[in-house]
Formats: sequence, structure tokens, C-alpha cells
Amino acid sequence: MSNSILEGTNAAGESTADDTVATPAGSEPATTVMSMQQALNRALDEVLADNPKAVIFGEDCGRLGGVFRITDGLQAKHGAQRVFDTPLAESGILGMSVGLAMAGFHPIPEVQFDGFAYPAINQIVCQIARMNYRSRGTLPMPVTLRVPSFGGIRAPEHHGESLEALFAHVPGLKVVSPSNPHEAYHLLKYAATRPDPVIFMEPKSRYWQKGEVDTARHDAGGGSPTGAKVMREGRHLTLVAWGAMVARCLQVAELAAEDGIDIEVLDLRWLKPIDAEALAASVRRTRRAVVVHEAPLTSGLGAEVAQLITQSCFDTLRAPVERVTGFDVPYPSGDLEDEYIPNIDRILFGIQRVLEYKRG
Amino acid sequence: MAEISFPLPDLGEGLIEATVLEWLVSPGEQVERNQPLVEVETTKSAVELPSPQAGKVVRIYGGPGDKINVGEPLIVFEVPDNTAGIVGTVPKEEAPKRRVRLSAVLDED
Repeated sequence: MSNSILEGTNAAGESTADDTVATPAGSEPATTVMSMQQALNRALDEVLADNPKAVIFGEDCGRLGGVFRITDGLQAKHGAQRVFDTPLAESGILGMSVGLAMAGFHPIPEVQFDGFAYPAINQIVCQIARMNYRSRGTLPMPVTLRVPSFGGIRAPEHHGESLEALFAHVPGLKVVSPSNPHEAYHLLKYAATRPDPVIFMEPKSRYWQKGEVDTARHDAGGGSPTGAKVMREGRHLTLVAWGAMVARCLQVAELAAEDGIDIEVLDLRWLKPIDAEALAASVRRTRRAVVVHEAPLTSGLGAEVAQLITQSCFDTLRAPVERVTGFDVPYPSGDLEDEYIPNIDRILFGIQRVLEYKRG
Repeated sequence: MAEISFPLPDLGEGLIEATVLEWLVSPGEQVERNQPLVEVETTKSAVELPSPQAGKVVRIYGGPGDKINVGEPLIVFEVPDNTAGIVGTVPKEEAPKRRVRLSAVLDED
């Protein structure tokens, strides 16, 4: 059953990571500038076209096209049988995904906002994440759950939360977050052709940012679509981030360069499983690391990243791995989110603490 | 551009209609979220309705004295396609600002 779902779609997903076709620089006909909204919309459009078993549903996903326009036009193009609205009941949206996956479909549900995933935790953790294991592989759960995530848009409560550590802790789930339109297009197409459940965390504050998307090729450097990606090379320190924090870390790296500090920015991309080899490879060179995330500090994914780095780079590290994160409070509404989300100065302070660390 | 229709909400518990007293905005006007749109009277009270979103007013329904049923269109906004229906606001892209400077003596061994 799972084979029939994936048939014909793997090629599209895998080919993006294939670097065997050399394309001369400067002549990339497949590269277009689009927003992350448009990149995600295009990816979903192609997934629906490639896989007749793919179905998209959620609150306002159908007629309206999603509150963020990610599914805009898809119902008109692919029909209301494949792109449809659901009641305001996340447990139902994810419960229905279980049944659809059992029946051979590839559900691509949307939970409209991060904080709305809580009512569906039972379906996600106790059903979707375990059904393959529970059934000894006879009932795989090819569910791609899209969750507009993280903060930064001045939205009310439940609309700015970072659930990656929660999901990453659950055996059976994969978790991924794109940082720009190019990553969004390729990672969503990849995720939506997996036989396993993937939590796809879209950084909603980056939805409107435009960027170049090469639809033909994911990683020009030949990286794996399941791995982390070096977004900027540097010698002195590695900033590890994902989602919306990648863009901020790239800004910080530019500012640090003014002070003569050469920063590497590693986009983790996959938050479960984490690409430990890429972390090790980067920090072995830079010997210093700061991990940045929006989620609260305590038991955040930064702790996992810090441990992975410590495990592989203990002898070469010049300072303990620093974390720059949100605070251990409920996500604040309105202007307060500027104080909560790691800003440029807080990240620079974290870097400075690592730079001036003295042993003994 | 996309048009978003805002129907008259239930302004009390089980009210079925309201009467327009005075429109506070007119077609062509750009309104902000929470800006008062219209004063209406129900069998319980007279209230000002705040705008559920920012946008340009395209159409308004009913003049002073007209009754509008709950669920029927009250006002139509025009908004850019990519912001239609959004909760929250689109972040402004600003030049990065800093106050912290880095200083370090880096041994390159």
C-alpha cells in the first residue's frame, strides 16, 4: 500500500538532491524569484498533480485558500474532493488523517496555527507517530502535517509558538522547518513524498519574503535533502538555527564581520533527526558554537544541539556551547514579542560570551 | 487584489438583525484594524463595530435605518492577495540595527 502511494513521486523528491547534472553558472532557467507562500503553494500544486492519493485539508484550506494563502487556488484546480475545508476541530483533522493514511491516501493536513496543534496531540503522538510501529509496518502513516509556526507577526495567543522540541521528542515523527522560499519548495516536496509522518513547521514571519527558487535542484553543493545546510561559511564560530532564525543569524553574521569575526551559519533544516555529522563538521572547524531558537530555553532543542556538539567536539571546543532563545514564559502577544524572540543584540551578546570565555 | 466580505456578526446572544444608524467609513477609504466602521442598533443596544482587519473599503451595505440580518454582508474590503485572511500583521523588513559590538583576541592555532 505504501509503495503505491510513493510510486512515481519519489523521483521528483529525490531528483532535487541529485547533483550529477552540472548546470553552467548563470544559466539557470529553473530559477525564479518567489515568496515562501508562493513556493509552498507551488510545491503543493505539484504534489497533488504527481500523486493522485495526495489530499489537502484543514481550516479554511479549501475555498479561502488558507489564512496565509498557501493553498490558494488549489481547490479550484484539483477539486473539492482533494482540497477541502474541515470543521474547527484539530483532533478531527488529525484523526481523519490516520484513517486516510490507513486507506492508502497521503494526507497533507494543515493545523492553522502552531498553538492549535495541542488539541490534536493525542492523534499525533498516540496514533500517527506509532501506527507503523504498532502494526509492524503494515500501516505506514505517510502524513505531512503543515504547521504555520513560530512568532513574529503580532498575532494573538496560540499563534506564535515553537513546538519543535515537543514533536522531536516523539518517536516515529520527523520534524523539519524551511528557512527560505527555496528550502520551503524542496523540503515540502520531499516531506510530502515520504512514507513516514513529517511535521512541517513553516516560519510564518518569513512567508512574504521573496527569494530565488531553483525548482530543478535542491542542494547545488550536493548535500542530502535530509541534512543540515551551511548557509554562510565562517572560521570563528558556528551559529546553529532553523526556521525564521536563520535569516536573523545571517544578518548577525554580516554585522559580526564588521568587527572582524567570521561567522558560519548552519541551517539545521531537520529537527528530527538532527544532522549530527554536519554539526560536528562545522564546529570542528570553528571550535565555537551558539544555537539560536525562538522556543523557551528549558528543554528546548538547543539543549539537544549543544549536547550533540559537545559529544563530537569536546576536545576542540574553545567554550561551552551558548544558547540564545526565547524565555520560559508563555509566548507574549503584541509588541512584547520583540523582547521575546532572540534579536540581533541578544545573539551578538551570546557570541561575545563565547568569544571571551577563558578556560580554568 | 482580493475582496473579503465581512458579514454582520451576532452582536448579542441570539440576535438576528441590527439597524444601521450611521456609517463611519465610506467606499474608497483605507481603514485600519479595530477602526470603528459603523454604528448599529440592536434590540439590546447601540454599538460601534470595529473593523476586523485593515483594507480598502469597496462596498458598504445598508444606509441609516436599514435592517441587516445576522450573517448577511455588511462591508467588503479589498486587500492584497498575499495578505487576504491573515491573522496578525505582515512583518516589515528593516535594516538590521545593533548596539552590541564584538571584541575578541582570536588565537588561530
